[in-house]
Amino acid sequence: MFNLFKKKAKFYSAKILNNDKEFKVSKGKNLLAAALDDGINWPHKCRVGSCGSCKYKLIKGKISPDIDFGYVLSFDELNDGYALACQSSLKSDVEVEIELKK
Amino acid sequence: MKTFYVNARYLIVPLMTIATIFGIFLGNNFVWLGVILFGFNTIIDTLTKDIHLRADFDEDGNSFGIKKFQYAVMYLMLPTFIVLQIILAWRLFHYTSAYPIEVLSLFGINYQSGISGINLIGATLSAGLWAGLGIIYGHELSHNRKEGFFISRLIMSLSGASHFTYAHVYNHHLDLGHEDDPATAPRGRNVYHHAWLSHVGQSKYSFDLERDKLKKQRKSFFSLSNKWIIGYLYSLPSIILFVWAGGVIGILSLLVVWVISNFLLEALNFMGHYGLIREHGKPVEHRHSWDNDNVFTSWFFIEIGRQGDHHVRGETYFWELDDVDAPNYGIGYFSLFVLTLIPPLFRKFTKELLEDWDRNKATDSERKIAHQIGNL
Repeated sequence: MFNLFKKKAKFYSAKILNNDKEFKVSKGKNLLAAALDDGINWPHKCRVGSCGSCKYKLIKGKISPDIDFGYVLSFDELNDGYALACQSSLKSDVEVEIELKK
Repeated sequence: MKTFYVNARYLIVPLMTIATIFGIFLGNNFVWLGVILFGFNTIIDTLTKDIHLRADFDEDGNSFGIKKFQYAVMYLMLPTFIVLQIILAWRLFHYTSAYPIEVLSLFGINYQSGISGINLIGATLSAGLWAGLGIIYGHELSHNRKEGFFISRLIMSLSGASHFTYAHVYNHHLDLGHEDDPATAPRGRNVYHHAWLSHVGQSKYSFDLERDKLKKQRKSFFSLSNKWIIGYLYSLPSIILFVWAGGVIGILSLLVVWVISNFLLEALNFMGHYGLIREHGKPVEHRHSWDNDNVFTSWFFIEIGRQGDHHVRGETYFWELDDVDAPNYGIGYFSLFVLTLIPPLFRKFTKELLEDWDRNKATDSERKIAHQIGNL
């Protein structure tokens, strides 16, 4: 009975333009978790959308915010296309800009 | 078989909540079933305190947990807790309308119509205890998906605590272990004092959060965009229901339910981080939370006891949380909860645990803060 609920995973690709890195993001996984799983040094702290450490700029593609970014990101940042990676569910392949940790 | 076991084991609360609802419906002494189950759970939790299991993954590293199933269960807990309130209100109506106590039948099931005062107390206590346990779903849903966040708000609003969803994510997860987090209990505080301070502190945090956000958006504080106000408005249907069902007694009954459920919520916060210290601005690590992960606590509380892993990987589904060698009380939540009710006993129990933490897990700065607190 429980197997009825199981579905095949789907993947999107995420490309970090200013670092020339690309990684896969499986459906249901947020952008930050997928990046960290791939060994990418994406800055982060709280992982629940409250600190803003994982913010990135969405250049191309679609994401769905899992939480209201307005509590952490400023009006200008939101208008400029910034989002929180730990609360971003991908809806298409994406291209982003982010300063990775060294 | 493993898939069935991993997913079915988290159905204890849903099944016992339904049993509690049924008990209140049947009437007579069955209304005390919720209270009896709480006591029964305390015994089982104590007896299984030494059984610890790890999270289950297959050989490819995939979890056996089925997200769609677990989410369906969590979402269904909202109507379940609504039914719990309705059934209590129904009993209140019986009492305040002086229904004669007699056996009636509904769909072939005999139940007692009318209720005595003492059994109304039993029904209220049962409902309060199990509404309080609904917090575990309010907590889990606050961390995943937009719809989940909204459902979390509604579940918490049934206990008059809709502010929790925002305060938990934006305050507790950011500031845990620091004095800026009202949900973290400092050493020496007792659970009664903490329940009040934490509840009010988190509500105030949500108030400030909304005020600042609306100011940035150039919107009035008194607008439909104010989530703090809207959260309390979500509790209005409960208030209207209980006033209609029981008048003053109805309000008293709802107050008892809310006091119990919020006390249980804050007791969880109290136990989760009591006395642990984190220097402001430093990363949250496993050692900044207490784990309670004996098997019954784990399955009953859907792994909320795995605080160490949860606070470092807040996005992780509960069925994937694991033992990360976080500080551990060594007993389950039910057993520990009983200890918290007797503050000197709780302080005695945690004294050595905290000394061990200071010696082996704290940084020099955290040890210094602990020493300063000890000298207060």
